[in-house]
Amino acid sequence: MTVSTQIAPKLRSGSQILIEALERNGVKQIFGYPGGTIMPVYDALVGSGLKHYLCRHEQGAALAADAFGRVTRRAGVCIATSGPGATNLVTGIANAFMDSVPMVVITGQVPSPLQGTDAFQEVDIFGITLPIVKHSYIVRSVNDIPHIVNEAFQLAENGRPGPVLIDLPKDISAGMGDVVYTPPQAWPATCAPDATAMQTAAGMLSKARRPLVIAGGGIAISDSVEVFRRFIDRTGLPVTSTLKGLGVIRPDNPSYVGMLGMHGNGAANHAVQNCDLLMVVGARFDDRATGHLAQFAPAARIIHLDIDAAEISKLRKADVAIVSELAPALEGIQPERKANPGWRAQCAGWTKEFAWRYDAPVKGIYAPKLLRDLSAARPGGLTITCDVGQHQMWVAQHCQFNDPLQHITSGGLGTMGYGLPAAIGAKVAKPEATVVCVSGDGSIMMNIQELATLKRYGIDVKILLLDNSALGLVRQWQEIFFEGNYSEVHLTDNPDFAAVARAFGIQARSIKEPEEVGEALGWLLNTDTAAMLHVSIDSMENVWPLVPPGKPNHKMMRQNS
Amino acid sequence: MTDMNHTLTIQLSGSEGAVIRTLGLIERRGFHLGKCSVGEVDSGGRTMEVQVSSSRPGDLLKRQLERLHDVFQVEVKPVTVTKPRKPGIRPVTLKEY
Repeated sequence: MTVSTQIAPKLRSGSQILIEALERNGVKQIFGYPGGTIMPVYDALVGSGLKHYLCRHEQGAALAADAFGRVTRRAGVCIATSGPGATNLVTGIANAFMDSVPMVVITGQVPSPLQGTDAFQEVDIFGITLPIVKHSYIVRSVNDIPHIVNEAFQLAENGRPGPVLIDLPKDISAGMGDVVYTPPQAWPATCAPDATAMQTAAGMLSKARRPLVIAGGGIAISDSVEVFRRFIDRTGLPVTSTLKGLGVIRPDNPSYVGMLGMHGNGAANHAVQNCDLLMVVGARFDDRATGHLAQFAPAARIIHLDIDAAEISKLRKADVAIVSELAPALEGIQPERKANPGWRAQCAGWTKEFAWRYDAPVKGIYAPKLLRDLSAARPGGLTITCDVGQHQMWVAQHCQFNDPLQHITSGGLGTMGYGLPAAIGAKVAKPEATVVCVSGDGSIMMNIQELATLKRYGIDVKILLLDNSALGLVRQWQEIFFEGNYSEVHLTDNPDFAAVARAFGIQARSIKEPEEVGEALGWLLNTDTAAMLHVSIDSMENVWPLVPPGKPNHKMMRQNS
Repeated sequence: MTDMNHTLTIQLSGSEGAVIRTLGLIERRGFHLGKCSVGEVDSGGRTMEVQVSSSRPGDLLKRQLERLHDVFQVEVKPVTVTKPRKPGIRPVTLKEY
């Protein structure tokens, strides 16, 4: 370039620079809600290449961005104004943090000179979110924006993913700068897995008499599903799964013993309590998975594979730890022989013994059977988002997933109200998918306003609402652990949910008889727009089995136990 | 379980919020904060020396701190003198809720 052709850098607003930086980072869709301090960004949004989805509550926007991030494994983006807009995002940010979901959060902030003066809609969102972000920024110069945005995406998506917050004072978003966008430098590669540790692990697996693998959510996050499946095929190791690991192994794989934990399968819990070697892949010994920690897998030595060094020996001491990307570690662990056939047969026996049954006498529609039917209606073809409660556990138990990205659930935080916005995020991310939001009558009310978002953008989400007129999981615990002293769990005054959906312009039907289920599920799945199927179920139905708090995993309470 | 005292020497960024982010993590992860000093270094970063006590392992805290983007380096040294401390966040116990 000669001097004569050089053009003086063009001045642009911070908001224009921000929009360009988002586009350069591959962003096409964002979820948000406008307001005072973020208005310059919304001004620059008009005519940009970004499609903005106006959710009807900032929490809905954050949770939609979370699900978008899970499905695409790229950072979902949400945006809100300062003060209440920002604080309404907090649950969504925490949700992403607990489940290691890549997310970039942009909040408006009062102008820098007003920060610290208790200005209108001023809140220290940077301070409020410190414990629940992977990293965060307050932008202090217009020309810093491209660098900060690039780094935010790199941090959110690399290593163990998580949410990154960018707080943008209004004088910065409205101020002018001359910075020219430059792409970020490549993110440093993660260390290769330690060869000695892999050899030790292989030796332990070869010698173990009762080895077991736990498949965690990290396998999907790191796109290592195929590598993991090959590892299992190669080694013949029995596998259990965490809630977030569902779908990593196909449910019909003979090595699979089911989900472990509080509402896990009996086979999985017996396998884990009896194993002598436990290889934990991309999982973190969550208390809902381990039960009584000191009695968890009491005879087992531990091999722990994780990209996050801070998970090693946090709750259970690892005998061998491999801190790296999962795929090269799984490829590098080469046991000399396949898993002990006697132990495999023992696991297969448990799998048969504890297979789900659907013949218990029940009043009305039996939700587990309905969910099994739903799953069977489109084998391996549904993306299911859940809310939190009994229905969430029934989905985990009774729906079958061939791919972990088809099961979108709030695992770590357990956020009621997740299901509907998550379905929006998942459908926007994957328009070709059939997305079903399985919700409950408690959870749906926590973000029911997002029905308006479905209607506004014609987002084709199927809502399966299991209505037991109660906060079912709390009611179940009060029944079992609080001597039936029911406190604030009855929702017998629920609104007519089908009428509510229709008021938002969403087709809806209600059923309550078992013989209606088949036809109604067909209607739900074959309707070519968003629709709700409202299903009345027995309010006294419980989730079984249940490992009581403080008990080891094999001490499961069962139906009629 | 008895508490162990550790001295942490942390090299961290000079960015806004880096100090409070680091100290916040230490308390949140179940470590009692004792003496603490922060200074600026020529490179624009900061150096922090913190005395902590907890029944939780110091090397786990080191790895948790190293996860922070603001933290460049952490050294942990056990301090042999132990003394009782006020109750703070209790260690991970076996009872579940």
